[in-house]
Amino acid sequence: MSGRGPAVGANVPDDGLTTRHSGQPFGVGASAAVGADVSADVSDDGLTDAAAVSFENVSKWFRSKARLTHALSQVSFSVEPEEFVSLIGPSGCGKSTMLRLAGGLLEADRGRVAVHSRPPDEARRQKRYGFVPQHPALLPWRTVRDNVSLLCEVNRRSSVAGMAEHDKLAMLDAIGLTPFLDALPQELSGGLQQRASIARAFALGAPLLLMDEPFSALDEITRADMRYLLLDLWRRNAKTVLFVTHSIPEAVALSDRVVVLSGRPGRVTTVVEVALSRPRHAGVEDSDEFHRILAEVRDALRHGWSH
Amino acid sequence: MAGSGSAFEEAPPETAAPEAPEASQGLAAAAEGDAEEIAGRRFEEPPELPRRPLRRALLLAAPFAGLTGLLAVWEVYVEVRDLRPLTLPQPSQVLRHVAENPGFYAQNGWVTVQEAFLGFVLAFVAAVVVATVMAHSELFERASTPVIVLMQSTPVAVLVPIFLLWFGFSPWPKILTAMLFAWVPFVANALIGLRSVDVDTHELLRSVNAGRWEIYWRLRIPHSLPYLFAAGRICVGLALVGAVVGEFFNSRDGLGNAARVAQSRLLVEQLWGSVFVLAFIGVAFVLLLMAVEKRVLRWHASQAGGHRGIQA
Repeated sequence: MSGRGPAVGANVPDDGLTTRHSGQPFGVGASAAVGADVSADVSDDGLTDAAAVSFENVSKWFRSKARLTHALSQVSFSVEPEEFVSLIGPSGCGKSTMLRLAGGLLEADRGRVAVHSRPPDEARRQKRYGFVPQHPALLPWRTVRDNVSLLCEVNRRSSVAGMAEHDKLAMLDAIGLTPFLDALPQELSGGLQQRASIARAFALGAPLLLMDEPFSALDEITRADMRYLLLDLWRRNAKTVLFVTHSIPEAVALSDRVVVLSGRPGRVTTVVEVALSRPRHAGVEDSDEFHRILAEVRDALRHGWSH
Repeated sequence: MAGSGSAFEEAPPETAAPEAPEASQGLAAAAEGDAEEIAGRRFEEPPELPRRPLRRALLLAAPFAGLTGLLAVWEVYVEVRDLRPLTLPQPSQVLRHVAENPGFYAQNGWVTVQEAFLGFVLAFVAAVVVATVMAHSELFERASTPVIVLMQSTPVAVLVPIFLLWFGFSPWPKILTAMLFAWVPFVANALIGLRSVDVDTHELLRSVNAGRWEIYWRLRIPHSLPYLFAAGRICVGLALVGAVVGEFFNSRDGLGNAARVAQSRLLVEQLWGSVFVLAFIGVAFVLLLMAVEKRVLRWHASQAGGHRGIQA
């Protein structure tokens, strides 16, 4: 796994040089892999330099004693600055893996992942993204207020100071946590805990958010509630969001684009544009356009699964 | 709050329909733990909780009642069976003896307390240091595990004569014995505690490149506290056992010595008096530890109380 010679700088552990230029000619990579309806965005290589997050022919394996699991195969897509992009796919399709690759928490075996054209690990070291895990992961001995400031407190070598105190209080107010700032996490409902987890990521003041099925443990009603709360915060704070989910309505309601993945190994099946106007409110879910896109994503998922 | 309020107030009824038509009202009610909901209820008087003074008094008195009950049964049993004091003295007799010789028990008790306490603290420090290195280095863990198992399975008491050879009549043989008795549970629990970090929180801290020490202090140490307190309660008793065993072998003072001397001279009251005072010291230590635990671990589930009404 140790980086050899010139590959180190590009954050490609091994074989990066050979595969990046062999294989399919770039730009066709993703579409050639799946054949069917692939939107232009996946393969538009011209965009990747300016992109907030970009994946180029990324492959990933997991090795354990018993077996080798092929998690991702030749994945290419990119997220533009201030864009909201969802990754959707069946469980085990590698969407969480993609999020961790984007965050520099895992390394790609082949291909290239970049955050603002830099290696993701650099973004991690400089606290350039806020991570929202699947479970709230709040420290039970810290109050909500102290949990929200946790990420700002650690790794002070990086220059990121976090949100200004005034903005932070406004954000906490918008997210509805003001009455609970001195409560301990276990005194809060699941929905409020997840709000604290999201507030913690926003409080970092980073330009990018990586969210790993943050609403999956919530009941349906709280979950629907959280969507528009998140969109409201996103609109006010101008962030790029990469959002992993397995809920189709959630992906469509939130995103500018939905990246649909097929299962084992994960491949990009298609990218669906969500041309719903913003700002969006809960009412959008009753519109015909919403249901049309919902059906499109569902068909793409079904196609990817039978593939 | 006012600006965003409208957005998430209208969400539930509209989105429940297309996705989960069978979502019941009960689910909806359960989900509402939000700010608006609580703000709306603020003006409603909470129902009066049933006050049960008798039950409360009983709960408070129960621990004392248990202890007094035991002593009473003992007292009556000796009386009824007409046992000789050498076989079993009455607790009243023992307590009277302790009350009549406060200086003797205070002096010897203090010696034993010091030995046990130092042994306890040394065991704690050594265990946390060793467990910290073990938690961070697989190599060290593999190397040290057999040594710890060896220490765990060797009867520590047999080492006391060796300590006596090394340190003579100084307090150190007793302190070392107390430490060795106490340290294995500490090491085992500290290691489990330091390892029991939540995977999600660990990854979260990694996502901002938190350093090893930051993760240690902010995540591992707090997570290990419940385990360390649990071990502490066991180790209080073990450290006392260690100190007393050390005193049995060779010493001029301490409650272990008092008991040994009493046994050889058939001073039944002093023998049982030493037992009573040692038991009292052990209980006092554990209560002290529990008080600290209650303050430090306010966030932990173990402090919530297992029975309904225990905090009533």
